[in-house]
Amino acid sequence: MKGRLARWGWSLFAWGLILLVAAPLVWMVATSLKPEDEVFSLEPALLPEEPTLEHYATLLTETGFAGYFANSATIATATTVVVVGLAVLGAFSLARFRYRGRETIASAVLLCYMLPSVVLIIPLYLMMVKLGLANTIASLVIAYTSFALPYALWLLRTFMAAIPAEIEQAALIDGASRMGAFFDVLLPQALPGIISTALFTFILAWNEYLFALVLVNADDVRPLTTGVMTMLVSGFNIEWSLLMAASVMMSVPLIIILAFLQGYLVKGFGAGAVKG
Amino acid sequence: MMAATAKLRGDGWLGPLLIAPVVVVLGAVIGYPLFTALALSLFEVDTPTLRASFAGIGNYAELLGPGGRFWPALGVTLVWTAATLALQVVLGVAMALLLNRDLWLRSLARSLVLFPYFVSTVVAVLVWRWLFNDLFGLANQGLMALGVIEAPIDWLGTMPNALLSVIVVGAWKFFPFVVIAVLARLQTIPESLYDAARLDGAGAWGRFRDVTLPQIGEVLGIVVLLRAIWDFKEFDLIYLLTGGGPVDATRTLPLTVYQEAFGLNRMGMAAAYAVAMMIVMLGFFVAYRLAVRGRS
Repeated sequence: MKGRLARWGWSLFAWGLILLVAAPLVWMVATSLKPEDEVFSLEPALLPEEPTLEHYATLLTETGFAGYFANSATIATATTVVVVGLAVLGAFSLARFRYRGRETIASAVLLCYMLPSVVLIIPLYLMMVKLGLANTIASLVIAYTSFALPYALWLLRTFMAAIPAEIEQAALIDGASRMGAFFDVLLPQALPGIISTALFTFILAWNEYLFALVLVNADDVRPLTTGVMTMLVSGFNIEWSLLMAASVMMSVPLIIILAFLQGYLVKGFGAGAVKG
Repeated sequence: MMAATAKLRGDGWLGPLLIAPVVVVLGAVIGYPLFTALALSLFEVDTPTLRASFAGIGNYAELLGPGGRFWPALGVTLVWTAATLALQVVLGVAMALLLNRDLWLRSLARSLVLFPYFVSTVVAVLVWRWLFNDLFGLANQGLMALGVIEAPIDWLGTMPNALLSVIVVGAWKFFPFVVIAVLARLQTIPESLYDAARLDGAGAWGRFRDVTLPQIGEVLGIVVLLRAIWDFKEFDLIYLLTGGGPVDATRTLPLTVYQEAFGLNRMGMAAAYAVAMMIVMLGFFVAYRLAVRGRS
């Protein structure tokens, strides 16, 4: 009896703390659904009394939000495809081959993974201007590989190194080529790791702010991060309900990932983040 | 036989060939820019016109000198890093211990805890700026309703509130990283260790100190180092919350680099700040490598 009570108390306490952590996000959703007079109220209710979707409608029809959203989707998808493609082959090389310079490359990748973007931003800006790529979607995809590729490579190398090499060796003895064994044996086993890496890369690119701030200042190529911030600055009165609606919409891909693919994210943490 | 030798020969260059695209791309987006940054730091460069004149170590002399902002910015960076990291670790370990127990709706709980870490910093900052709103923000209204404060507080525009707010929001945003890393380790601690401690008469605190803490120690060490590096270089969160203000009170090194380049139009000086900052970070990196090596 005492044991069960203690467990109840524990669960209640835990959930209290979790809700405290989640409170800003609950408030974000609540604000986005409140009519204007409930938002600017001196005695606010936690939940909207008359929930409305008007801010979402305004967001999609009267602001540049839909365009920013499309740009972000393009940039994040392109970055993910390029980065995961390169990293899968690179990680295969680092995990399964022996050659001179391999350890040097692995160390360099780790060093890159910790490099501050702010160091690269000035040279990359100059480079994009020189190449005539300033203010293009391509400039952001190129810039994003600078942080996403080392990350993806490190993550995938750890995943692949954890897969036993025996089955591959058996396939090689049976006459398969190295690449044949890679595609038929290693790749299927590494698939969960690849999905996890792709999700991480997508989220990183979707959330990036600094490069977008410096490399792009045209509204038709701007991604969500800088686009939504211009909505904050440009309005005379800050329309918080509109910004909260934008925040919710911007988080939709993440909510989908957390709801259905959470296991992959947690796996990625365990692999790349903590093991050196 | 011929096929076999061809395959072996193929093995010789296949490994390097597969990594080659990565090396080329990283050379273009990291190697070359790094080299450019080093070179730029020796010049005075006007950002809009890109007109440059050689300055030698002039930029470094200025930023380290009495009028330079390197030391104050480094101070702010270290305070921010140490304080937010400490909060992240305490909150992260506590939450990991909670989530490790039986809990109603554990998967939902884990999603809610993970959310701040993965959500865009832009979203996190917008929500917190709304919470910190002077008149209608939940922070002021809540504290006033509870009678903790009598008048609204300016959370982001005065000191020390601005620095404290940034530290708290940083802790909220990044502590889930600690949770997940520690939780993964907690789940591998054998229950028999706790049973043995219980037999020895250890209480909850004793079991935590004598069993849990030593077991998670290694993971915690790596996590602290990684987060120290990432917090040190954090730009978005601080820039978007306070912009470095009031005046320079929350201006960390990354924000100083950005401001020199695109606010004050001194690109060479910005590169010099960036290089100086990287040298500090190199120390972190060496520590990380040593820690990992010591572990394996």
